[in-house]
Amino acid sequence: MNVSLKRIQAIFIKDYKEFSRNYAVSIMIAFPIVLALLYRTEAGDQTAIYAFVMNFSLAMLTSYVQACLIAEEKERNTLRSLMMTPASMLDVLIGKSALVFLISAAALAITTYLFGYDTSNVMLLTAALGISILLYTAIGTICGLYSKTLLEASLSVFPVLIIFTAGPFALAFEERYPFLEVLRYLPSSQLSELLVAMEVGAAAGELATPLVIISVWTVVLTIISFILYNKRLMDQ
Amino acid sequence: MNAISVQNIQKAFGGKMALKDVSFEIPKGEIFGFLGPSGSGKTTLLKILTAQLEVTDGHAAVMEMPARMMQKTAQKRRFGILTDNSGLYERLSIEENLDVFRRLYDLPKSSIDQVLHFVNLNADRKKRVSVLSKGMRQRVTLACAIIHEPELLFLDEPTSALDPVNTAHIHKGLRYLNERGTTIFLTTHDMTEAETLCERVAILHKGEIRAIGTPDELKKTHRDGTLTVELTSGEKERLSMNEDSAAAVAGWMSRGQIDRMYTNELSLGDIFIKLTGSELV
Repeated sequence: MNVSLKRIQAIFIKDYKEFSRNYAVSIMIAFPIVLALLYRTEAGDQTAIYAFVMNFSLAMLTSYVQACLIAEEKERNTLRSLMMTPASMLDVLIGKSALVFLISAAALAITTYLFGYDTSNVMLLTAALGISILLYTAIGTICGLYSKTLLEASLSVFPVLIIFTAGPFALAFEERYPFLEVLRYLPSSQLSELLVAMEVGAAAGELATPLVIISVWTVVLTIISFILYNKRLMDQ
Repeated sequence: MNAISVQNIQKAFGGKMALKDVSFEIPKGEIFGFLGPSGSGKTTLLKILTAQLEVTDGHAAVMEMPARMMQKTAQKRRFGILTDNSGLYERLSIEENLDVFRRLYDLPKSSIDQVLHFVNLNADRKKRVSVLSKGMRQRVTLACAIIHEPELLFLDEPTSALDPVNTAHIHKGLRYLNERGTTIFLTTHDMTEAETLCERVAILHKGEIRAIGTPDELKKTHRDGTLTVELTSGEKERLSMNEDSAAAVAGWMSRGQIDRMYTNELSLGDIFIKLTGSELV
């Protein structure tokens, strides 16, 4: 496996500078924080609302930023230039994903604090959100690789946003429309279920199932993003 | 030892042949120019040699290894590439762009100063790429391609956006690189560039090599076979190379009537038109 920390660092620093100067993309950091401030005073099911805020933030921040970073490199042909340097596929993807991971982790931590969400199992929540960030980063990579321009990438994230954010809510109609049961296996639905299970103090087995399903999604989509990256950068 | 060896390569896109039975060799240390209009197959060839495309048939070797091996990290350090598609990071300064490449090639910071001097951009190093002229961007792109002093340099129209002063500066730098051992594979529309810079050139048209050799060899092979004599009286005579003409010239010489005399050689552009029937555009 050809990975170099120096090259990953080079890509990370470059992406950080580009991201911090691209206000159209970096403004997305504010989204989860604004959502937390808007919803923290809401009465009702705080866990469900927190799950919605997290799922929305993961799509709107993590996937969106990653898709934009990748698509902009494609649009300006800098990804091709990077490919001609010693940077390997893993160097590029890890360098980019590391930046998005750190930004997302920081934003979600601040959001959780501002929301005032209290959990009895911080470790499990951290693990679930960490794995989810990796998953949504892979989704962003796929969206970015499928897009030719930055605009296309911005639009390509919307189906992800709608399906993954609205999925858990659509389960309310499951009895009337049984086919909606499939939405139960969405990672966003699993994150919601995990949060509920944590709240009621469910057994370890019940807590592990959602985490495993989210992890499977993460592994599969990460592999797909790697394959797609290699395929997209080789002309036919 | 050859830097590039191409044997009977063919490349098809769908049913259309982009390269047809192309063969040539470039010894190490040579500056080799590929001349051809847009769509002639130059960029396809360049992509094959840098492992961005696979051949349909034939064999391409770069630095004694199959061209597809150029994807490997160790091999990528050995070549540099500048194409008309090479991108820059718009929100970063010239220096920051070069710093990305310096870090990726694991070079000392001094390499940035050296390459900025090479492309004559030292004074502008803090400028953001988004505010640069096309010519300056071209020079930054070139700097990114050569910062690691590659053994082999692929250049696709390297001076197409530059003014004559900067073109001369880049040519001087490329000769300097070449003197230090860098083999240069250059595609160009610019006949003057090909003549002044390249030791050998190939003319590519519709995916086929129509001629290959030094500029002088091509001119000799395709010379028009006439002689122009300018007489002191102001008259200009165009003569064929035969015995009658020789006698006429001898007569003028004996009477001291010849002001200037020269053979009518075709330029590389003329040779291209002669071989392909196309204008170089």
